[in-house]
Parts: sequence; C-alpha cells; structure tokens
Amino acid sequence: MNTAREPLIRLEGITKRFKNLTAVDRIDLDVFPGEKLVIIGPSGSGKSTLLRSINLLEEIDDGVIRFQGREVGYVTSHGRRHLDRPPAVCALRTEIGMVFQHFHLFPHMTVLGNVMEGPLIVRKMPLNEARQVATDMLSKVGLSDKRDVFPATLSGGQKQRVAIARALAMRPKLMLFDEPTSALDPELVGEVFDTIHTLADEGMTMIIVTHHMGFARELADRVIFMESGHFLAQGNPHEFFSVGQENERIRSFLNRLL
Amino acid sequence: MNRFYILISRVAVTLLFLWTLAGTGRALDSDALSRQAGELMAQGDLPGAVELLRQIPVPPKGADAGAFVASRMQMARIYVSLNEADKALAASREVLALFPDNSEARNAVAAIQKQQQSRWLSLLDDSRKFLPALLKGATMTLLLVLCTMLVSPLGGLLIALGRISTFRPLSAACWFVIWFFRGTPLLLQLFFIYYGLPAFGVTLPPLTAAVIGLGLNYSAYLGEIIRGAIQSIDQGQMEAAKAIGMTYGQAMRRVIIPQTYKRLMPPIGNEFIALIKDTALVSTIAMVELMRSADQLFNTYFNITALALAAAIYLLLTSIFTFIFEKIEYRAGIYEHR
Repeated sequence: MNTAREPLIRLEGITKRFKNLTAVDRIDLDVFPGEKLVIIGPSGSGKSTLLRSINLLEEIDDGVIRFQGREVGYVTSHGRRHLDRPPAVCALRTEIGMVFQHFHLFPHMTVLGNVMEGPLIVRKMPLNEARQVATDMLSKVGLSDKRDVFPATLSGGQKQRVAIARALAMRPKLMLFDEPTSALDPELVGEVFDTIHTLADEGMTMIIVTHHMGFARELADRVIFMESGHFLAQGNPHEFFSVGQENERIRSFLNRLL
Repeated sequence: MNRFYILISRVAVTLLFLWTLAGTGRALDSDALSRQAGELMAQGDLPGAVELLRQIPVPPKGADAGAFVASRMQMARIYVSLNEADKALAASREVLALFPDNSEARNAVAAIQKQQQSRWLSLLDDSRKFLPALLKGATMTLLLVLCTMLVSPLGGLLIALGRISTFRPLSAACWFVIWFFRGTPLLLQLFFIYYGLPAFGVTLPPLTAAVIGLGLNYSAYLGEIIRGAIQSIDQGQMEAAKAIGMTYGQAMRRVIIPQTYKRLMPPIGNEFIALIKDTALVSTIAMVELMRSADQLFNTYFNITALALAAAIYLLLTSIFTFIFEKIEYRAGIYEHR
C-alpha cells in the first residue's frame, strides 16, 4: 500500500449522536485507493452508523469528510452547519456505492430494471447505453439469466448480487458493504463472498462492515475493531488475528465468533 | 221463570234455524245455488257469491253441463273484477278441461293472459318513456365521476406529499385542507361553492362548482390514503434510491410511489364507488344528473319505475367500476405474482 498517495476518503473527527447515545465518537480514518478495509465489532458499536455517515445517509453532528481531498457533504451558513444542497449530496453518492444488509432491491422493477435505474435516471444515460451497462454488471455478478425476472423470485444470495450490480452500475470509486451476508442463509454466503472477492481483485476500494471473519482474513488490507463509537484496535489481518491479541475485549469477541 | 223460557225458546229457534240452513244447503241444487249467488252479487258480496258458485259440482259425463259452465265463467268474471287473474284463469280452465272447444272459456283465458302481459308491457312502456331522460342524467353523472377521478388523485398526491414534507408551513397547510374538507359535509361544501362564492364575486357554472366541490373533498380523503401508502413503504427503499444518487423527487417518482399503487387500489376503489353515489348530492346545486332526472320523472308521473331504473343504472355504474378497479389492482401488483 502506497501511503504517500492521497487518501480516497478521509474522515476527521466524525461524531454522530442519537438522543443520549454517541454512536460514533470523534473517528479519524483514511482509506486509500484500492484499499480493502474491514470493520468488525459487537452490534451497536457504531459500525453501520459510521458507514452510513460516509455517504450522507446519516447526518453527522461534527467532523469533516474529505473525498479525494475535497471537503464534502456539509456547508455552514449563518453559523449553522447543515447538509449541503441536494445536487451536491447526490453527486457524492454517485461516487460511493452502498450495499445493504437487507438488499433493498426495488421490487416493482425487473432485475435489469434495478441495475439500469441509476445509469438511466441519475446519470441520464440513453436507454441503450444504460441497458448495456446493466447487462455488463449482471454478467459480472453472474446473473445474466435472471435479467427479466422480478426480485421476489430470487434467492437471498442472488438478491444481494443484484444489489451489488446495481451499485456497481454507477461506476463508484468506493464501495460500502453494510453486513452484506448477515441476512443470508449460511449456504448462500459463499456466492456473495465470491462476488465481493472478485471485485476486490479488480482493485475496488471498499469498506466492509461484517461479522463474517472470512472477509477479514481473506480480503482485508486492514481490520478495525470498533466498540462504543471508538476504534479499539486496527492492523493488518495477520497481526490482528495472530497471537498479538493482547486486548482482552477483542480476544473475547473473536473467541465468541470463531 | 219467565227469563228461563225465553232463553230456552231462543236456543231452540237458533238450533232450528241452523238445522234448516244446513238441510237446505245440502239440498240446494245448481239452479238454486246460482240464483242465491246472483242475489249475493247484487248485494255486493262477491267473495260469498264465488263460494256458492264453487259448490256447483262437476256434472257426470253426458249430463247437462250448462249450469256448471255458467258458474265457472261467472267465477272467472268475479275473479277478474277482484284483480285475481290467476284464480280467474283456473276457473276458466276447469271448463276447458271438460270442453276444450268451449269458445267462451277460451276467449276468457286469452283475455286474462293478455291483461297479465300488459302489466309487464306497461313496465316496458314506462321504461321506454323514462330511459332517455335517465340516460342523459347518467351521462352527466358519469362525466362528473370521471372528472373527479381525474382531479382527485392528483390533488390527493399533492396533499400527501405536502403532509410528509419537512417544510412546516406546507405540511400545516395540507393538514388544514384535510381537516376542513373531511370535517364538513360535502353538501355544505357544494352549497358554499355554488351559492356562497357569488357573495365574494365568484360565480361558477354548476358543472364547474360540482367538479371543484367533489374534487376538493375527494382530494382530501385520497390525500390521507396516499400519505398512508407512501409511509407504509419500507424506509430501506428510500435509502437504496438515495444511495445510487437519486434526488428525493426521483426516488419518490421512480421508487416509492409506484410501489404504493397496489396498496392504494382497494381504498381508492372504495372511495370512487362512494363518489359515484355522492354525485347525487350535486342535484341540489342545479345539476341535472341521474338522481335529479329520476326525481323529476317520479314527481311528474308518480311512477316508481323511474326510481327503480335509476337504482339499476347506479348499480350498473358501480359494478363496471368495481370490475375495472380489480383489474387495475391485479396489474399494479403483477411483480408479486410472477
């Protein structure tokens, strides 16, 4: 990893509070182009909130997000900080793909329709072009034969692969995976994992929140353990999972999972 | 003592009288029966006369049947005058059973049947007389229904989007519209628009006033239905749409609202069925639609057929629309069936 390069995304002091709970507490993070970052930790530790803050689905209370060196997402007017104008917010989101735990495919559109929706409506591509992009993405996730069915007929694993294709169709620079295999039957985890693996091999920058240690071991350049809104520890997977596990909290967490 | 004799003699006389009656009754021959029946008829006791005539027996084969035939034909005439066509027919047919060629009985049967048919014919005649006016009224009803069906879903959608807007003044305004138009009678709203607005210098033709009144009222109802349907769509859909870079408007138009169609159809179908019947209210603001036409005919001819026909037309309209709504509901949810 070339740390001399400029980070793709840089978080400075990100803080998000819900009523009386600080879900994300002054988090700093640099993610470099091509890097695969895996965040693990107990549920409620702020992993998802942090991920959602990056593409502005969660409005943060404090901190700065820089994308390719540029400060994004928030403006200050009359001394009050608030979310940027919709066009700026939408523009950032087109650069960042997101995959959700529960897929959130559009049930009223066919598989092809789901994938070409972004290029067609957001990128305003001509129909033929959008269809071509969507077809390419579907073949990339291995679902070309399902292009004309509705999501209701797909298995969980297939739905998640369509969701990945839908995000990829926007040609994002960064992919966020929010527990992409947590809602799947165990025998379906593999196909989704393989799809993400292929993507990683192609050099996509990605941040993955997961409870699936396979991701961390096989994919990650860096693993972060998060608890109570803080980063408790981070390192490359070899260090992280090896005996250098002096942290009591992480050891007990991993022991419960492994 | 005296009273006792009087009582005894009264009882005796009564018994004697009853015995005489019973004896004579049994003994009376056909001639006497028809004579007595004639007397009863003269006194206006038609049911009594019929009872006596009925006692004239069927003659044995070969015997003179003149009295029998005469009695049955007399019964038929009495029944006709009593408006009991079925019994009149039965009496005539007793004669025909013995004498199939009896012309008097045949003519009677034919006449009675013709009279029976003419009742249905008169219904047909009435219908033919009333239908043009009713259909003209129904056309106006249909026009009103279609206009309101066109206007109110759009109005409802705007009100619904306003209600869920985070811009407070807009959502408050939409709340007010719903509160007002759902909270006051439609009849009152129509009166206000047609009779009340001229006081503010706005005079509207009846059709315009009716469409505005119905449109506003139904927009308010549909607004709440649409708002509920939008809010029932999984929050994740909006997030997924935003995550690929859609604006709020694009997400609504492409992702959220299309998913509400299936959920909207049953309650909206319900509202539109109610609308078909609610159009009857505009008859009060000088609109001649189906209800008004039926009312006018009823008051002119005092004939209930006009009202029955109007009911039939309303039922036909509601049936057609129910059928259409069911088809649309199925189409709207097709992605769940495949």
